[in-house]
Amino acid sequence: MTGYQIPRNSLAWLLLAQAAVILPHVVRLPVWVTAVCVACIYWRVMVYNGRWRYPGRWTKVAFVLGGIIGVPVGYRTILGLEPAVAMLIIAYVLKLLEMQHKRDAYVVVLLGYFVAMTQFLFFQTIPWSIYIFTAVLITTAGLVGLNQTTTHARPVMTFNTAGMILLQSVPLMVVLFVLFPRLPPLWNVPMPSQIAKSGVSDTMSPGDVAQIATSSDLAFKVKFDGQMPPFNQLYWRGLVLSNFDGRTWYQDESASFRSIWRYRMPEPGWVDNMERQDNAFTYRIIQEPTQQNWLFSLMLPDLPQDRELVMARDFRLAHVEPVRTKVRYEVTSYLRYRVDTSLTAGQRRQFTSVVENGNNPRSRQLAAEMFAQSSGVNDYIGRVLRMYSERDFVYTLQPDVLGRHSIDEFLFFTRRGFCEHFAGSFAFMMRAAGIPARVVVGYHGGEYNQFGDYISVYQFDAHAWTEVWLEGEGWRRIDPTTAVAPDRIERGLEAAVADEATFLEGDFISAFARQTLWLTELRLQLSAIGYYWDTFVVGYTPQIQSDLISKFFGDIDRKGLGMIMLAIFFSLLAVIGIIILMKRPHRALTPLDREYLYYCELLGRQGLARHLGEGPIDYAERVIAARPELAQPVREVTRTYVDMAYGDLDAGRHKDLKRAIRGFRIKALA
Amino acid sequence: MSESTISGNKLFRSLRFQKWLNRRMPPANSIELHQGNIFILPTREGLYFTILITVMVIAGINYQNSLIFMLAFTLLSVFMLGILHTFRNLSGVMIQASSSKPVFAGEDAEFNIIVARGGARTYEGLVVGWHPDLLQGVDLITDEEVRVKLYVPTKQRGRMNPGRMLIETNYPLGLFRAWSWVDLDMSTIVYPVPLYAGAIPESVSSTHEGEMLSREGVDDFHGLRDFQPGDPVRHIAWKSYARTEELQVKEYSAFVDRRVWLDWNHFSSMDRENRLSRLCYWVLMVSKSSDAFGLRLPGVEIEPDQGHGHREKCLKELALFETAT
Repeated sequence: MTGYQIPRNSLAWLLLAQAAVILPHVVRLPVWVTAVCVACIYWRVMVYNGRWRYPGRWTKVAFVLGGIIGVPVGYRTILGLEPAVAMLIIAYVLKLLEMQHKRDAYVVVLLGYFVAMTQFLFFQTIPWSIYIFTAVLITTAGLVGLNQTTTHARPVMTFNTAGMILLQSVPLMVVLFVLFPRLPPLWNVPMPSQIAKSGVSDTMSPGDVAQIATSSDLAFKVKFDGQMPPFNQLYWRGLVLSNFDGRTWYQDESASFRSIWRYRMPEPGWVDNMERQDNAFTYRIIQEPTQQNWLFSLMLPDLPQDRELVMARDFRLAHVEPVRTKVRYEVTSYLRYRVDTSLTAGQRRQFTSVVENGNNPRSRQLAAEMFAQSSGVNDYIGRVLRMYSERDFVYTLQPDVLGRHSIDEFLFFTRRGFCEHFAGSFAFMMRAAGIPARVVVGYHGGEYNQFGDYISVYQFDAHAWTEVWLEGEGWRRIDPTTAVAPDRIERGLEAAVADEATFLEGDFISAFARQTLWLTELRLQLSAIGYYWDTFVVGYTPQIQSDLISKFFGDIDRKGLGMIMLAIFFSLLAVIGIIILMKRPHRALTPLDREYLYYCELLGRQGLARHLGEGPIDYAERVIAARPELAQPVREVTRTYVDMAYGDLDAGRHKDLKRAIRGFRIKALA
Repeated sequence: MSESTISGNKLFRSLRFQKWLNRRMPPANSIELHQGNIFILPTREGLYFTILITVMVIAGINYQNSLIFMLAFTLLSVFMLGILHTFRNLSGVMIQASSSKPVFAGEDAEFNIIVARGGARTYEGLVVGWHPDLLQGVDLITDEEVRVKLYVPTKQRGRMNPGRMLIETNYPLGLFRAWSWVDLDMSTIVYPVPLYAGAIPESVSSTHEGEMLSREGVDDFHGLRDFQPGDPVRHIAWKSYARTEELQVKEYSAFVDRRVWLDWNHFSSMDRENRLSRLCYWVLMVSKSSDAFGLRLPGVEIEPDQGHGHREKCLKELALFETAT
């Protein structure tokens, strides 16, 4: 169809939608893709303004080839989510440049919706969702504009129409969202890969945890069923680092992989060794994406009931897949427990190994001397802890950089450290004395949110502590940080480093928000809203859906659920349909027209209804021809009405029309 | 515009369907659209839209991403609402036949219709027309009613019934197309194509009596009469036009009335249509002068006369000669 022009009204909305949809991707796109987007949109705006012409065929071919070659070269791969999204965006902007026909415009609209969707793969927070749905609204306005006549030039009305349709779709969407049967993934899909892994890692060198603790990002939120354990008991175990190479603590890969307990697997022997005593707490965690497998729990968690979760030999929980989107899981922990009351010779060897390569000789010597002076293991532990509190050790977020013999340097020279320095040196001291010990990293504490009754754990709550194996008791948690900075455990990091004012030093805005009372209040409220969003919207998983549905509909299979969904959906659609079809927008009738229409209605009742398109004068003539006796009043009414409606007379004569009609009525009914 | 307008639609052309349509929506001068006579189906874009939604749902499942579900379900709801909104944008529209004008075969016949809204509801992006290439857009936003001139190409002479008119809309989303085929019971006369037939032979006009009747007072101003197409412009009474705004021509008695017979038998070597076309040409020719003329066709004889009405009468006779209606 040549000569077709996309309505300018629609085009304006489409251009705006395109900019809105691409904007959030810019942070992730290579600079050159962004440049192409800007160039294309600019070009199209110039065409819109009539300044430039559409690109020629060869220019377009060059653009397309550039995209096809540029993306794999830029990303060094064509597989994966990010290159695919970049390709999609390039297609989207290039389509814009050759958008001349209505068909092209539809392609742009559909691509727009799709690009908007990809944004949800990367962000799922409330502000971003509002943003993306706004972009969807603008895209819909473009779609509505496409179906208006070219002369229609009231963009606001177009936008309102789109808004009304989207508003009407909300209740329908909610029905589908809640009831549409959620299936497990059909096949594996590429996941966002550029996102840096966050949170604690599976190795720990001095300075690592202090690095994490400079961030105010959320790690996870926890909601307890009922009672909460005391603050100083909130040790969120993430990883157990059993191996030491002289400087770095790391996970024992083989051990953790060989012995993992999965859902519905027969319980291995070590599971029987777990003795859960009491102090049970049940809680639900919504974990932010970390791109890692590990989850967080209080010691000692129950065997997980969720098939996505596994328990490792060291009694920590892990997720089957790396946590790429928010994960919600429920755990019951027994804070009084006893595990691994006996160790095999191999385990004992592993947990006391300090690697005989001549590292940290002074510390070994110190350990040997102190252990010789002690009356037993417990006495030795007490002596080492006292060493931290009695010597001039400092708990700081800015520890000194340590060299090869890191533990020697820390214990004898710098004496300034963060939790990993204390945990690492303590575990070393234990092992050097032949006591099995290991390092645990995770988080400690959290911030209670009274609006949502949950705890937020932030990256700055990252913590490292130790577990020591005691004869007859099994693994026991010992946190050497308590010896040097009891505030850290009782009140959190902010209080512990208040003197040196290093809390969130590099993040002025977060620090300010935390230190201002009303902002804290506001932050906690927003966080509470976010919690409900994460629980009921983002975290609406198959599990939660089946829980909710069995609560309302009892035991029901997928088919029954589908039927219920369709029934509710179509009933609702019918209700909205009635509203749409019944809706009579208020019409701005002038009082004059209303009077005249009343007169027409009177005549209509006598079988002389006005025809469509019949002017008042023609109508009057027809009436007079049929009812000559009414000639005088009909002429009177018509003349008055025509004078007032079409002539330029003051409204003062509105009464005249009324009087004329009254006169007519008397005559007509007589 | 959609391709499946009337002439291209196989289903539409099938006789059974036509019968069904006639039963369901009998021809009428004025028709109001309602659920009984509106059809609605997704457009091709609508089908693409459902594919998009399907892809989104699969993405939602594979990424276990609730917000993608939310977007997909929003679009699905929008799609379903599209049915209602598109239907709403046609339901309640009133269409009324207004007038038509005769044409010569091969020209586009003009039909005037009125599209109106009954209630307070507004309508946008309506498309009406008989021929897919000659569709007209109509908005009923501020106007209560709109007069639309529609054109239908003609091929052959006779009484032309344009058949069912299409009224459709894709508004607001373009995902659905609501349409109706209304028979407004309109028709027009299609005259034969005038084909050059040369000058009217003298012999024809002189063989009959009374053709040289002349009024007294040659070249004297006789009076005014209404303008007819074909009247010479220099005879228009401009002063009178300025006063009354009605086009009139001055009549002079110098105009000699000649009685001319336009005869079927003159073109004895030709077939019927060619004869009619040539006679048509002559009717037009003679009408330009003020000569009175008569028309003779087999079984038809129109006495010589003059004037617009007479011309129409002759043309109509030529148009309908030996046609079914």
